[in-house]
Amino acid sequence: MHALLTEQKSGRGAGNRNREGLKQMRKNIMWRLLATLFAIALAASACGGSDSSDDSSASDSSSDAEETEVTLAASGESLLDTIKSRGTVNCGVSGSAVAFSELQADGSMAGFDADYCRVVAAAILGDANKVNFVSLTAAERFTAVQTGDVDLLMRNTTWTQSRDSEVGMDFGPTTYYDGQQLMGRESDGFSGSSQVSDVGGSVICTSAGTTTEKNIADAAAEAGVSIELQTFEDFDTVTNNFISGACDIITTDGSGLVGRKAKQQPDGENWVIFPATPISKEPLGPTYGQNDSAFADAVNWAVYATIIADEKGLDSSNVDMMLTGGDTETIRLLGGEGELQSGMGLPADAFYQVIKQVGNYDEIYSRNLNPVGLSREGSANAAWTAGGLVYAPPAR
Amino acid sequence: MQDANQVSASEEFQRGLEEGQGSPHEAPSLPVGQWLRKNLFSNWANGILTLLGALAAVVALRGVLNFVFSENRQWDAVRTNLRALMTLSYPESQYIRVWVALGFVVGLAGLSAGIWANWGGVSVRRISTWLMGTGALLALCVIVREPSVILGSDGKVIRTVDGSLRRESFMDAMADRSTWWLAAVLLLAVGAALWSRFSDPARRRIEVSVTSVVFVGLGLAILSLWIAPYGHYAYISATKSYVAESGRTVAFSTKMPWTVMLILLSGFFFVGRFFQRGRYLGLVKGSSNVLWLISPLTLFWVVLRDPALDYGHVISTDLPMGLAFGLLGGALLWGLTRSDIGEAGRITATVLLVFAVFNWVAAFFGWYPMLQKARISFLLLALAALLAPNFIGEVAKRRQLVLGWVGVTALVHYLATMINTPSTVELQSTEFLGGLGLTLFVALIVVLLSFPLGVLLALGRTSKFPIFRMLSTSYIEVIRGVPLISVLIFFSVMVPLFLPDGMELAELAAVLTGYTLFSAAYLAENVRGGLQSITKGQYEAADAIGLTSAQRTGFIVLPQALTVSIPQLVGQVISTFKETSLLAIIGLFDFLRVANSVIPAQSEFMGVKREGILLVAMIYFFFNFTISKYSQRLERRVGLGER
Repeated sequence: MHALLTEQKSGRGAGNRNREGLKQMRKNIMWRLLATLFAIALAASACGGSDSSDDSSASDSSSDAEETEVTLAASGESLLDTIKSRGTVNCGVSGSAVAFSELQADGSMAGFDADYCRVVAAAILGDANKVNFVSLTAAERFTAVQTGDVDLLMRNTTWTQSRDSEVGMDFGPTTYYDGQQLMGRESDGFSGSSQVSDVGGSVICTSAGTTTEKNIADAAAEAGVSIELQTFEDFDTVTNNFISGACDIITTDGSGLVGRKAKQQPDGENWVIFPATPISKEPLGPTYGQNDSAFADAVNWAVYATIIADEKGLDSSNVDMMLTGGDTETIRLLGGEGELQSGMGLPADAFYQVIKQVGNYDEIYSRNLNPVGLSREGSANAAWTAGGLVYAPPAR
Repeated sequence: MQDANQVSASEEFQRGLEEGQGSPHEAPSLPVGQWLRKNLFSNWANGILTLLGALAAVVALRGVLNFVFSENRQWDAVRTNLRALMTLSYPESQYIRVWVALGFVVGLAGLSAGIWANWGGVSVRRISTWLMGTGALLALCVIVREPSVILGSDGKVIRTVDGSLRRESFMDAMADRSTWWLAAVLLLAVGAALWSRFSDPARRRIEVSVTSVVFVGLGLAILSLWIAPYGHYAYISATKSYVAESGRTVAFSTKMPWTVMLILLSGFFFVGRFFQRGRYLGLVKGSSNVLWLISPLTLFWVVLRDPALDYGHVISTDLPMGLAFGLLGGALLWGLTRSDIGEAGRITATVLLVFAVFNWVAAFFGWYPMLQKARISFLLLALAALLAPNFIGEVAKRRQLVLGWVGVTALVHYLATMINTPSTVELQSTEFLGGLGLTLFVALIVVLLSFPLGVLLALGRTSKFPIFRMLSTSYIEVIRGVPLISVLIFFSVMVPLFLPDGMELAELAAVLTGYTLFSAAYLAENVRGGLQSITKGQYEAADAIGLTSAQRTGFIVLPQALTVSIPQLVGQVISTFKETSLLAIIGLFDFLRVANSVIPAQSEFMGVKREGILLVAMIYFFFNFTISKYSQRLERRVGLGER
């Protein structure tokens, strides 16, 4: 009897527990359903939340007025006005081109190309720091201009006929005259006066998938010598193979070779760069979308201003003095009369800001390219008065 | 004499066997000599193999050490670029935001560990073997590394006539490494002391908890920041030069934050422990789950970006809209959960779903304008309405659904508003965050969001309802048939082209979406593997006690299926983390790309690549090894592989 009673009791207890358990279970399952809904919501807001609304009159974004303007500008007005209303210049650079555009340890962009982006920003917006640098690979650079992700490229882009015509780019004044050269060891019998015809039988290395590969093959065929061409993923690997002796000769743009020689030549070795006349022409400069003359003029004349300033001996340290004390062209350039710049949609003091904040061509060149061993004297990048190719039309 | 030894050894062996019975993982301990003879030198062939293997290991170790400590290595490149490797362009003045975000995640990790983790203990004897092993390895490293190259008075490497380097003598090298010797001997001595003290039978099984071992380890690592002078070079942008900051070392700027992180971790661990036995356990578990889902997105878009809210717009548009959806939607759901709703509820839910889907179709063709937030909200409302029949009945249940809806609406509207507001953090380039920060955030967000999605897909694929099965199966198969890199390129290049005019998708958001969808498909297959291991009897038993299909899935099937799939799920987490390095290809700067292409392009460190890549590999290894070790413990705890 007693036993039975206990059993009954425990039986009832178990039943209660079961019911409570089930109730608890139901409660839990609902929480789970809610949690799932929640997860979907999160995923949805992660995916969809960053879409900007397509209804500009009631846009989520606090800057909807600005966005409307941007759309208008894209459909007909010049990029120049877009940049002014946006307040920054989106400048496409490489981000991994030594001395031309390099990302520094603190995340800032430095180099020759980066400084020319600053030149454009100083001219259009009056502030050299209003640049938004976009690092682009070689493959994505032209698409980035066409989709409007960047306003212009300062990305070691060679001016070629097909790019100017088929690809739909326009090119500004050349800021750097480069050309493909070869680098070998003096101990292998090469010297600065060697020619492509001297490299017969050598192992020549370069990076894969670039025009350098085709150029050297063509040059060797033309000179009638047979070479063994090896390609590697990037130029760091190429240089390492040169140092280890796997390559007799490496080839790329002269600017790259000079930098490698300055930084990576081991003690007791002497690397020489030849031939004196490069095997290809690589004029590098600003690149932008075609048929936007207002923007093209602004970029071109900002670049010309740095060249004219160099000719006139105008630099960031004496620009304030020359504002009144220079010759008439200098005063015109700096906005003394004011009509030239205002007429093309720039502030009157646009080029004063360029020289003051960034500097003239020579300053930009020496600041960025001298440390890696590239000097102006005697190269194609000397001023036209010193036998080089750097030349600007007059400002008048 | 020898016989006596033999006897005592075999006694020891017996005892070891007896003791070993308690836990099957601890091998019965043998005296060292006998263990060696039994396992490594049992016959001459094995002996030769052992010696060859050891030789290969030493040669490899020597190679690695010579590589790392070679005079040709420019570790300055890595030391100078530590900031770039961690966050790239994020401004130093705003670093407090990074620390706050990290602190939040660390605190949450501590809380979760406190609630869930029961890692058990590890015997002191075991720890002593670790110490001795580390000491021995360190001593070996000190011995096998090549002697250093001699530098002349001008600081240059001295070469002999044939151009080879002149190295100091072996004895000099050993004397030069006295600090390392000291450390090795200290470790060996402490290990040996512990070993002998804890080897008698009574003390042999004394254990300390794994948690305390982990905390002491972390504590020592952080303490070293306060003591060791880890060097730091600063980049001065004005003069474009690098300056060694003797006073301001890495430790100087990070020792305080890291200490705070440790305090947060251990503090929240004990909070979690406290709740483990309390009556609020369910609530704490639920909220920590929800926090894990929300926090990465919130930390990234709110804490790190610091959006500049336009309060006029918030009050005039965002807030009313959120309130309208919350309240009107709540009222609708309250109505839909009435017990006499009948067929009307189903019809309402279907109509809502059709309307919500139609909104997206309309957006695609640009038929009529509508805020993106409204589209998302309508879709969610339709889903909630579909769920409503599960909540019909008591007031408490109905209230749950309505409150849940209000919470979800509030969160979605909050995040959407924040994400759409421009950042106030001043940057010099479009790369908002790069380096390790980006890698970790992407991995965390993708893993957390793809998990629920993957489980749903797996359930869909095993569902009896043909349309779910077909949709899930085709989705999974399509995604799995395409490499990750093409999914990423598709989302970063193609999707923006398909979007209607004026709609744009930030690159990172596009990538996160694509990566989450990709990862979810693989996860679904792993979970499906688990689901298939559940025997038919389990389903029948669940049906027999009258569980609904949702209850059967939630309480019987999924817990078992997920437990079985732990190894694969962890494998998926690890590969997701590692594959974030593919982000480099679509133009984002993850930390491998920083090491591989940013540092070698700096004119100061031209071509210096191996050092950075070695560091990146070490960091990847640290994280993945930790995850893998944790999963092993988890498997052991749930008894995987022992049934």
